[in-house]
Amino acid sequence: MSSIDYLRLLQLAAPETFLTLTGLMVLAVDLIVGRGSAPGTRIILSGSVAATGCLLAAGGLFLLPVYGTFAAGMLVADPLTVLIKVSLVILTLFTVLLAFSDAAPLADPGEYFALLLFACVGMMFLTSAEDLLMVFLALEFTSLSLYILAAFNKQSPHSTEAGIKYFLFGSISAAFMLFGLSLVYGVTGSVQLPEVAAGLARAGNDPLALVALVMIAMGFGFKVAAVPFHLWAPDVYQGAPIPSAALIASGSKVASFFVFAKVVVIGFGGAPAAVGSGAAPVWVILLGIMAAVSMILGNLAALVQVSVRRLLAFSAIAHAGYMLLGILAGTEGFGPLVYYVITYGLATVGAFGVVSIVQARTGSDRLCDFAGFHRRFPVLAFCMLIFMLSLAGIPPLAGFFGKFYVFAAAVKAGSLALFILALATSTVSLFYYLQVLKQIYVGETADASHWEPVPITVSVALLAMAFGVTLLGCFPDLLLNRITIALRITGF
Amino acid sequence: MQTDTSPYLLLLVLMVGALLLALVPIGLARLWALTASPPKPGAEKNAIYECGLESKGDAWVQFRPQYYIYAIIFLVFDVETVFLLPFAVSFGGLSAGAFVAIMIFLLLLVEGLVWAWQKGVLSWK
Repeated sequence: MSSIDYLRLLQLAAPETFLTLTGLMVLAVDLIVGRGSAPGTRIILSGSVAATGCLLAAGGLFLLPVYGTFAAGMLVADPLTVLIKVSLVILTLFTVLLAFSDAAPLADPGEYFALLLFACVGMMFLTSAEDLLMVFLALEFTSLSLYILAAFNKQSPHSTEAGIKYFLFGSISAAFMLFGLSLVYGVTGSVQLPEVAAGLARAGNDPLALVALVMIAMGFGFKVAAVPFHLWAPDVYQGAPIPSAALIASGSKVASFFVFAKVVVIGFGGAPAAVGSGAAPVWVILLGIMAAVSMILGNLAALVQVSVRRLLAFSAIAHAGYMLLGILAGTEGFGPLVYYVITYGLATVGAFGVVSIVQARTGSDRLCDFAGFHRRFPVLAFCMLIFMLSLAGIPPLAGFFGKFYVFAAAVKAGSLALFILALATSTVSLFYYLQVLKQIYVGETADASHWEPVPITVSVALLAMAFGVTLLGCFPDLLLNRITIALRITGF
Repeated sequence: MQTDTSPYLLLLVLMVGALLLALVPIGLARLWALTASPPKPGAEKNAIYECGLESKGDAWVQFRPQYYIYAIIFLVFDVETVFLLPFAVSFGGLSAGAFVAIMIFLLLLVEGLVWAWQKGVLSWK
């Protein structure tokens, strides 16, 4: 084995290294400068260091991307992964900005922001891994950071509950996934994705490969909150501190879906049909069932929710179902899927931001607490309108085009029944998104108490996200062209 | 030597042999005990006789979490040593990139230690 070129490694992993060092700097700044100051000052201090780090990392990735492969797929930087990494860093940046809000009084802001950055680093490594071991390591690194983030508010029993539930479900599904990956290694004799694909195609209908597939689907199904591995999602989205929940709902989903698609489409894509020649491959059947159940259960359960964060959780489950359609469409659906998850992440972080404003001022996130929000913060209410309509998939916004492209890819790939189901359930979803907007715009409330103004960073972040969702909706080519070019260069 | 019989047969024979070796003495001892020493337990007989002290209280006591935190911080030094030794041995032939990489790694560990120190974890209360 040849010796490792560390300089090359540092070059390829420069953004990750930079963000890690920024995380360490956030810790140091909070310890040295912030010691003894008021909690508000410490949040602003460490938060601005973290936000600056994110901005620089995103800028560096965008302007000076370095492409290459390290150690046979351990770390792959190509236009596609760089694009995903930029979007991950931007989502983390928005999450950091949201944490400036006083929704959850953070006892240790330095640690909180550092963990947000570390979670982002984990997701970035996850995105650029084409080696199953590295996938697992990065997934664990991300998960460990997210477990702590979910349980970060030590004063709140809900946050602790969220952390423990997330941790228990996460560790068990990680164990299943590791077992699955080890079986893949057993069948194919390799952990590198291209060789795994060749090995699986050779293995044919080896029952061991099928068991491995189911176990891997379990692990990723947990990360993306697809039914039947979704049980943690409502409690975590409701109980965790809002920025943590926003990152779990957006960034973690973007990275996990990207890797899930990569592992399934590249690794298992060449697998032959199940029984008989006309049937679909097993992974198509498996993911098809997961998608269908996610869409039905997510959308129907969201209808009856009172808590808006729970509603967002079930909507996330439903969206996981739509996104699975993108994976089902194979290489054809890869571009639409990437577009969908990125725009979905943007709208979700925005929606969580608005919820955090309401929760900080009323103490809860019930639907009725949103009544009169329009009178108090008309601009932010309009932002929420954009996020909700984008999640529902109304034409001029990004969510519509995401759904449109994914559904179109699904039809092209021949899953017509799932397409019809997706259309029907997304009509249902309009009801609960409009329910929130109804409360905001025409809800009656007797409460006329004064609400303190929203921190400037939170308003700026929300406006930027609303602008982004609208812009990507009006000009989807801005992102889609980049994805298409990146896909062509990468060779999908 | 004949090898065409099932290769697992030998394993089976070994397993049965191992089981018998373990179970037969126990069974014989049990049989012998039944005839030679009928069970007649009493306070004197059940006492801990020259086998340690009478236990007091419950074994389920609470530990201070500081023990665990100490153990975790010990890992900083432990891992540091494990990686520093090969680093020092091959120092002469290392590239600049490798040097930077190990420095970043050391920074991670050192900052962890400094962080714990500043948080007051190291002072035993």
